[in-house]
Amino acid sequence: MTLRDEVWSTPAPPVFGDLMDGERALPLRVAVTLTATELVIAPGDGEALHWPLGKLRRLLDQAHPTDLVLAQAGDPVTRLVLRDKGFARQIEGAAPALAKRPPVQNAGKLLGWSVAAVASVALIIFVLVPVMANQLATFLPPSGEKALGDTTFEQIRTALDNTGLDPVPMCESPDGLAALAKMEARLTETVDLPYPLTVRVLDHEMINAFALPGGYVVLFDGLLDMAEDPDEIAAVFAHEVGHVVARDPSRMALRSAGSIGVLGLLFGDFAGGAVVLFLAERLIQASYSQEAEMNADIFASETLEAAGVSPLGLARMFERFEQLNGDQPSLLDHFMAHPDLVSRIERAEASGSEAEYTPSLTDAEWQALKTICD
Amino acid sequence: MSEALGTEFVGRKGAYFWLSLKTGLLTILTLGFYRFWMKTRLRRYMWSAIRPGGHPMEYLGTPLEKLLGFLVAVVFLAFYIGIVNLILMFASFSLFAGNGAAYALSFIGILPIIFFAQYRARRYILARTRWRGIRFGLEPGAWGYAWRAALHWLATIATAGLLLPRQVFYLEKYRADRTFFGDKRLHQGGTWTMLYPPMKHLLIAVGLTVGTVLAGAYGDESTLFILPVALFWLMFGAIHFRVQSLRLLTSHKTLGGIALKAEPKTGRVMKIYSVGYALVYTVVGALFFGLFIVIFAAVMSVIGGAAQMGAEFDVEMFQALSNVPFWITTALTIMLYFTIFLMWNVLSQVFVGLPLAAHYAQSLSVQNPGALTDIRQRPRDEFAEAEGFAEALDVGAAI
Repeated sequence: MTLRDEVWSTPAPPVFGDLMDGERALPLRVAVTLTATELVIAPGDGEALHWPLGKLRRLLDQAHPTDLVLAQAGDPVTRLVLRDKGFARQIEGAAPALAKRPPVQNAGKLLGWSVAAVASVALIIFVLVPVMANQLATFLPPSGEKALGDTTFEQIRTALDNTGLDPVPMCESPDGLAALAKMEARLTETVDLPYPLTVRVLDHEMINAFALPGGYVVLFDGLLDMAEDPDEIAAVFAHEVGHVVARDPSRMALRSAGSIGVLGLLFGDFAGGAVVLFLAERLIQASYSQEAEMNADIFASETLEAAGVSPLGLARMFERFEQLNGDQPSLLDHFMAHPDLVSRIERAEASGSEAEYTPSLTDAEWQALKTICD
Repeated sequence: MSEALGTEFVGRKGAYFWLSLKTGLLTILTLGFYRFWMKTRLRRYMWSAIRPGGHPMEYLGTPLEKLLGFLVAVVFLAFYIGIVNLILMFASFSLFAGNGAAYALSFIGILPIIFFAQYRARRYILARTRWRGIRFGLEPGAWGYAWRAALHWLATIATAGLLLPRQVFYLEKYRADRTFFGDKRLHQGGTWTMLYPPMKHLLIAVGLTVGTVLAGAYGDESTLFILPVALFWLMFGAIHFRVQSLRLLTSHKTLGGIALKAEPKTGRVMKIYSVGYALVYTVVGALFFGLFIVIFAAVMSVIGGAAQMGAEFDVEMFQALSNVPFWITTALTIMLYFTIFLMWNVLSQVFVGLPLAAHYAQSLSVQNPGALTDIRQRPRDEFAEAEGFAEALDVGAAI
């Protein structure tokens, strides 16, 4: 008995479907019969097609709730559209691999380009952009750096404000400013600054300080509140001046400009972009600045020494930071961009031997500085 | 069969909702990696929902070829974007003492690549679209498109928008005249000036808005009440131009002896937008409010716990709050953000994207379909780069 005979002997009547032969834009009306081993597709005239059940594939994610669109594995163009709900069910029951995916093509190529993409992004973010930023930062004219600092400072003031109404106010009590100016003068006497410093105190409870391009040194009121003597503030101050002298903030700004665009490229717009980008960028910057932080610490202890201020303030400040963050997960350390406080304390302690130092401020000046925001 | 073939649309909100929710969630969980699969699956659904003459369109793009194209694009673009952005930022701060110039220059620098990417994305999509088993296709020509698009934009901006119809017409003609269905080439007929009548409302609204603002600026505030009307009109005008220029452009397209006819209605599109977004805002708003209440209740129970232990209410309350571990509050915030983001995308797909596609599809018909008998298959366009550049630059964002 030939296959053809078997079809004709099947009691079920054929169901009609549309066959797209992939050669002409004309669907052919075909009679379709399901046998035990195959689907027989018979056009009104011409050869019938025999699709083995094991090779039947359905198109996935189709909108029509009941239509079944079939293809044969290995044949990219021919399609059969069946609109008979009951018949579609029968085929679903009989064909074993309807939803099987085609084998992956170009796997080697895909792997090769993945490696290339990862390598080129890594090269750019971790090598090319930092190197270029380091070089270019030294060529930035002071006025340009100042402008960059001004913009960033205002952005930070606005961003830190919780009410969303006004930027965080700056603290400007005259006695406090005078004390700060004295500290600045004493610490920078021996330092070759690329441009004059702009020192600001922000009325915010955060225990932190940072430097911005163009000679900005910004202290938070929270830091002043927590410090127990002026040498601790002098230590932080000297550390930030270290960043200014090394032009770290300008490097950072240029690096962000380069790397944030590349990261945007990678993540696409999968979640509104901005937030994820910011976090990713923050993580990268934090790991960048390990060496810069170390250098700023070395700079700070040398500067304090030269100015006759005890570098132990640095060690005490680190201990305090550690107490504050000690019980927090290490994630937070990354976001604070301050590496490994313990080893820094050890270095600072090794560098200081309480000798002929004078306090960086008098008691009265220290009180004035502590109350600069009142 | 010389009667016109109408187009059915069989997409359903429920099925499309689950598909886009599922794929959107996977995209977030995989940090965006699944987006190539998401796009493929949503397109398969949408294409198969559109049935000119009762026969479903088929989308044949695959996620892996999109991923490959994306990787290729990243290799080239990472250099361009990283280095160029850095140099521009440097130049901007050196020369202009500000970063505004850098952003502007960076955007202008990337524009030709965006046009290039848009053309390539269209080529990929057409090459992976079939109807009645016959492939569509677009001839190569992305750079030609990129410089033409840049010049047309310049002309439009220089004439304060008066040459917009010229830009829209010629760019569409450039693309359409390179488009194939099987072995037959599509032809864009008509003239660019035919797009002026659809621009009527846009021009009136712009005039009205500018007039009102100018009058206000010179102290005559009595006309300011017109401003909301003018702004609404502006929105209406923009939508009207989009819909009607699409109608005219489509209705002037021919392919061999076949002609297309589109009859989308501005009013209908306006209604889809307003009802759709009202629904999206309501549902997302309610969801946000609900989640907020849940989180607030959780926080209050922590505080309540502290208060019951006999704590001083005001001080200890905040201590209890600050004892909530950092990672919990962070995780809650991130989850809230992603939930809102996901639901926003999914619901605007379902309540705006799907109905719009339905309207445009149902108002499209194929005239003189008898001429389809002459059409033969075209060879497959391998085009391994897929829409990588558009994906990387995020300009092929619409599914």
